[in-house]
Amino acid sequence: MATRIERLPYGIGRWSAGWTILLGVLLAIITVGVYAYYQQLALGEVVTGLRDIGTMGGAPWGLYVSFVVYFVGVSFAGITVAAMIRLFRLKHLRPVARMAEVLTVIALILGAFSIIADVGQPLRAVVNLFRYARPGSPFFGTFTLVMSGYLFGSLVYLYLDGRRDAALLSKQPGRLQSFYRLWAAGYRGTPSERERHSRASFWLAIAILPLLVAAHSTLGFVFGLQVGRPGWFGGLQAPGFVALAGVSGVGLLIIIAAIVRRVLGAQDQLGRNIFRWLGSFLLVLTLAYLYFMIVDLLTSTYAAHHHEVRITTALLKGEYAWLYWGVVAALLTSVSILTVQYIPAPAGVRLPAAWPRFVRVAGVALLADGMLTASQAIPAIKQSGFAFSPQVVAVLIVLFIALLAVFWVGLLPLIRGKPIMTAVIAGVLVNLAAIGKRYLIVVPSQTYGTLLPYSTGSYSPTWVEYSIVLGLVAFGILLFVLFMKVFPIMEVEDSMPL
Amino acid sequence: MRTTLVVLMIAAGFALQAVSYFLLAAPIGVPTSPVYSDPRLPFAPALFILGVMLVFLAAVVYELLPEERSS
Repeated sequence: MATRIERLPYGIGRWSAGWTILLGVLLAIITVGVYAYYQQLALGEVVTGLRDIGTMGGAPWGLYVSFVVYFVGVSFAGITVAAMIRLFRLKHLRPVARMAEVLTVIALILGAFSIIADVGQPLRAVVNLFRYARPGSPFFGTFTLVMSGYLFGSLVYLYLDGRRDAALLSKQPGRLQSFYRLWAAGYRGTPSERERHSRASFWLAIAILPLLVAAHSTLGFVFGLQVGRPGWFGGLQAPGFVALAGVSGVGLLIIIAAIVRRVLGAQDQLGRNIFRWLGSFLLVLTLAYLYFMIVDLLTSTYAAHHHEVRITTALLKGEYAWLYWGVVAALLTSVSILTVQYIPAPAGVRLPAAWPRFVRVAGVALLADGMLTASQAIPAIKQSGFAFSPQVVAVLIVLFIALLAVFWVGLLPLIRGKPIMTAVIAGVLVNLAAIGKRYLIVVPSQTYGTLLPYSTGSYSPTWVEYSIVLGLVAFGILLFVLFMKVFPIMEVEDSMPL
Repeated sequence: MRTTLVVLMIAAGFALQAVSYFLLAAPIGVPTSPVYSDPRLPFAPALFILGVMLVFLAAVVYELLPEERSS
């Protein structure tokens, strides 16, 4: 029974030059972020692009709040996947369970820091939340359920789930031995302990799942219940938040799993079936979110109040159109590659063989045509004598669509042959889309959504905001890397006995 | 003993949540006066969070508390 492992698994405690460089880069980014935050604390939020609505023509919620929502959304994946593995006995997904749990905890910590970054007086804000939060306010739910209950529940889940591995690692002499012993807390791996852990995890999963839906819905209600804010007020905010949270979280989990697979050489543990399952889950969630987007768009363009129409116009063909259509394109691209990858072709239908040279030529032509078409929108070119006539522009657009179709069909066989790469590309695209969509949810309703007769506002984040957000992202990566270096990021296999 | 303690913790946690939410925090309803803005007991939201934590801590107690030795 007391067989001990000779070397800590998954690269724990071993630092190569690559890891050290990564650590240095992350610390440098975090330092810039801390310096930017110091500037914000010392000089006030005037160093940011945040301004009051109306009289100051700005938006008090900007990049920070967009990332609060994004980070909290990302946290969805971890504990959902972990709970689903436990409840539905998805044993083949066990290798991603721990990284999913860690992702949840780190994302929630980053979400809390983003809130701290957003408020001018952080200490006062934190104390007053504990003191005055009103049960009737959705902020109460966000604060109590998301930042406290959800984070604490995830920590408990992670702790209990890691006891077995901690007990295993505590048998290996080393600097971290006492830490592992503390974590294991006397775990010996007896049948009754295993049974108890199984029962406790089951009930924790049962408790966490409804809490998770309630927590993400509450975050949606922060926006959806604001009757005086066109673009926010609506019944779809809560379910939309839950769906987009799942999309971004599962997408990020796929990316992390692929990186861990590559870095640790864990091709056996993190096999294609795991990515296939996660990709399918991502596909379903993305389709659900696209449905919400279409319903929301139809409602706000069919017979909405003119304030709603004003925001929708800004999204569809105004100031935010590039971002809105970028988000749509990213989500549709993800859906299409995941569909090609995971839905089997009907019997008798065969995809054409890949012609890499043909795909390359089509891709270059597509890029050239796209740049030429996009250049026509630049004001300087419009005013110069190099502007094409509308007929030529129309031909360029048609050509672009045709080339895109050709390029896409040429890519299909390549996509089908690489399921992990496909899932990772989809994961990256949906996360970019999620960040963009969070920004589109938060900002336009403040710059375009006032019911009072104010002129249109504007918001541009400053270097301070970008630096703080990048610093937070780097901090999250740093926490993940440090965790990987002190504890197994994947469950240690059963073949290693206690 | 262990099961009793765990059940008590869960019950106390939910009770604390209910009491702090409905009786100690600011009254729920249409805010017609400043009474609806302030909690009836300062830091009532913190008590609610304590209740949530107590429920989750029950799982830790359930797993960590040693089994009773039968004589």
